[in-house]
Amino acid sequence: MAGATDLLGPKADRAFGLKLVAPAMIILIVLLALPTLLTVVYSLHDVPASGSSFGPFVGIENFTIIFSSPVFWRSAQVTLTFAIGFVVLSTVIGLAMAMLLNQRFIGRGLARALLIIPWATPWLVIGILWKWFADGSVGGLNAVLMMLGLTSDYHPFLSDPNTALPITVLAAVWRQASFAGILLLAGLQTLPEELNEAAQLDGANWWQRFSNITLPWLRPVLITVTVFNVIYAFLQFDVVFAMTQGGPGDTTQVLSVLIYRQLFVNTNIGLGSALAVILGVVALIGGLTIVRLFYRREMH
Amino acid sequence: MASSAFERGRRRSPATSIAIYLGVLVFAVWILLPVWYLVVSSLITPSQLGIKPFPLVPSSITFDNYFAVLFGNTGGKGIGSTDMGTRLVPAIGQSLLVSSVLVVLNLFIAGAAAYGLSRYPFRGARAFELSVIATRIVPAIAIIGPFFVAFRVIGVLNTPWALVISYNVFTLPLAIMILKNYFDQLPREIEEAAKIDGATRLQTLWIIIVPIARPGLVAAGVLIFLEAWSEFFYALVLTNQLTVPPLLAGFQSVQQFNWNALAAATVMSMLPPTVLVLIFQRHVVGALTAGVGK
Repeated sequence: MAGATDLLGPKADRAFGLKLVAPAMIILIVLLALPTLLTVVYSLHDVPASGSSFGPFVGIENFTIIFSSPVFWRSAQVTLTFAIGFVVLSTVIGLAMAMLLNQRFIGRGLARALLIIPWATPWLVIGILWKWFADGSVGGLNAVLMMLGLTSDYHPFLSDPNTALPITVLAAVWRQASFAGILLLAGLQTLPEELNEAAQLDGANWWQRFSNITLPWLRPVLITVTVFNVIYAFLQFDVVFAMTQGGPGDTTQVLSVLIYRQLFVNTNIGLGSALAVILGVVALIGGLTIVRLFYRREMH
Repeated sequence: MASSAFERGRRRSPATSIAIYLGVLVFAVWILLPVWYLVVSSLITPSQLGIKPFPLVPSSITFDNYFAVLFGNTGGKGIGSTDMGTRLVPAIGQSLLVSSVLVVLNLFIAGAAAYGLSRYPFRGARAFELSVIATRIVPAIAIIGPFFVAFRVIGVLNTPWALVISYNVFTLPLAIMILKNYFDQLPREIEEAAKIDGATRLQTLWIIIVPIARPGLVAAGVLIFLEAWSEFFYALVLTNQLTVPPLLAGFQSVQQFNWNALAAATVMSMLPPTVLVLIFQRHVVGALTAGVGK
């Protein structure tokens, strides 16, 4: 009897597991897999603006149009610049904040609570907040620079083609560095203090302890954080849309904004979908590259 | 232990202490300056806003902007030509509705799925879990086209349902990942003991596991709420400024609108997620970091 139920058990267990997962699976297939597939199909058609049918099949024509368009390459360049600045700054500032908040000082609990505020703030609100913070007539950033004597008059950061992109990067970093800081701080808190103390007794200086103990300890968290940063970098829409809508000119027109324009301003569903496919592939490659890069270094 | 902690504290040189407190000062300015600018903007009048340099410490404050965006025009006291006063409160209501419905639905659906993946793995369970993680890479912007077309056909555009349905794209995978990691941490002896006591699998899940897993469920609920409350792009495209984010974005493009009033509305929109996260800080950070590095 006991033997029979043992044999039946796992099979009934598996069926029970499948039953529990089935609703989520069905929802994700209908709401995620299907639209993803449809987007790929759209990208191969000249879809009418109404979107009521696929329209004529055009093969890779949408992609040919995109790859021969200077607008796309300009946008790709902006996206890449945005992504590099965003990933590097978010990770570095996040790590610096985590290491600082891992020290002992008065008011540490309050400081750790502060770290959470940018992360809890909606991306769009960060865009609105920074748009006005950097404003050329009522902005707080200008006020601070003026009070510090760094500038003599207000500067319209977001309508200046030279500063628009850096300021949007900074705004997005303000939020993402906090997310990185939260995860990295949690990682640092699990680092046994004895490791650092032993190294200190052996005469290791701050930099040696940082590069030989702290960084290797944080590697798994750093991989996760960096992959998140890369994905958010390529998929960022809200902050740019709220701050500049892609302007001035095309200086901040990242690919997600270009997709929005194609789909909903020019109502070119085929071309917009092809752009979306390209963006998805780029984000995927970006994420995988980071994972590869880190793991390869680990092997050495 | 106490004495060693004491020695550790003493070993720090004064120079290191100064460096740390300088660092804390820079950190506080980095986080607080933009927030402070926003809060001050919401508490001053348009004429104070015009002062150069911007009054980071205003000589007087007023709550008129908040009254204006919450209750409508306050006798023409500088709200501009926007109708924010009549639209912000309903939008907050819709945002709360969409977010809460999603939290409840997702906790049931994702909770069941995560528990099944953690305790009763079936053939293909691992593949499903990996594809759930991979969905984080799919650009939500990329797949909005089919939603727009389908929702127009079935006539749910500009209703909360358009958002309750489409937000599953990001909230459901997130909730499954968080809860799967959480269930993995619970000891398996719980199920074994319940089985010996004669409880069915469903009884075990409902009567024993759910109460034990409450911290994980709370954390997942907060994160779902956060994503739904913050979502802008789908709300922009699938509704006519139904929820708070597209409404705020809409006010930016209104001519003659007023930053003081928008600042007050923006502060209102930041309060629910920030308060929620600060209350459940421990749970949320624990859940976020539970699966890191796996």
